[in-house]
Amino acid sequence: MLPLSLLKTAQSHPMLVELKNGETYNGHLVSCDSWMNINLRDVICTSKDGDRFWRMPECYIRGSTIKYLRIPDEVIDMVKEDAQAKSRNRGEMNKNRGGNSQQNQNQRAVRSGNRNNFNNRGGQGGGPGLGNGGMRTGGSGQGNRLLAQNNKNRK
Amino acid sequence: MDDLNPLAGTAHLLEEVDKKLMVLLRDGRTLIGYLRSVDQFANLVLQRTIERIHVGNEYGDIPRGVFIIRGENVVLLGEIDRDKEQKLPLKEISVDEILDAQRREQEQRQEKHRLVSKALKERGLAVNAELINEDFC
Repeated sequence: MLPLSLLKTAQSHPMLVELKNGETYNGHLVSCDSWMNINLRDVICTSKDGDRFWRMPECYIRGSTIKYLRIPDEVIDMVKEDAQAKSRNRGEMNKNRGGNSQQNQNQRAVRSGNRNNFNNRGGQGGGPGLGNGGMRTGGSGQGNRLLAQNNKNRK
Repeated sequence: MDDLNPLAGTAHLLEEVDKKLMVLLRDGRTLIGYLRSVDQFANLVLQRTIERIHVGNEYGDIPRGVFIIRGENVVLLGEIDRDKEQKLPLKEISVDEILDAQRREQEQRQEKHRLVSKALKERGLAVNAELINEDFC
C-alpha cells in the first residue's frame, strides 16, 4: 500500500496537515491527487507559533507545500482489510481458472492440433484427421487441403 | 547480492519496511515509528509514531499516531537498535517537563541571537534574521 493510496483511503476522515512553513490545517479530506494536492473542508488553520487561528469552510492545498499529514489510526487498519479482501478475491479467481477441467482439456486439444499443423507445413501430408484446429476432417486429402488453407489464412 | 534482484546496487528503503525507524525532518524534529510503506519519492508512512524532543541529555516522547511524510522533508532515517534502546545514556522526563525545557532553550537561543545581531549592528553589519534558519543554529 503506497503512501498516496493510504491518503486516498483517508478520504472523508479528519486529518492534520502541516505545511513546510509550519502552519497546520485541521479538516476533513475531501479529495486528493497523485501530486498530493488536497481539498479539505471544515478547516481550522493554525499559525506556526500556534497562537493564531482561522476557520474556513474549505481549502485547497498544493501538494508541494506539505511537510506531513497525520491521519487517524483506524485508516491504516482499513487499508489492511482492503488488501486482505483483494487477495482473497484473487485466490478465488485462480481457483475458477483451474476449475473447469473439461473445458481445459478441449483447449489443450486445440492447441496441440495447431502444433501439428505447423509441423506438417512442409508437405508430405500428415495422417488423417491430424491437426486442423482439433476439427474432425474426413479423408486425408481433404485434411491436407484444409491444412493448406489454414496456412494461407495465417499469412 | 542476488543478481536477479532488479534493485541490486540501488539505494532503496524496501528493507526498512516494518522496522522501527527514527526519522529526522528538515525542520529538526525527530519522529520514531514503524515504517509501513514507501514510494519512489521517499514519501513515508509511519505507524505508532512518537515525536521525541531532546534537550541536553534529557528527552521526552509525545505520542503522535500515523504519519504520511512527504519525502522531500526527510533528512535521514535509520533503524532503532532495540538492545541499545534499553540503555540510552539519556534520561526520559515527562512531556510537560520536556516542553518546558524546550521553551527555555528556545528563549536562550533567541536572546543569544538578539545579542549577536546587536553587536553586529554596532559594527555596521546587518543580519537578515529571516535568512537564518534558527533550527540549525
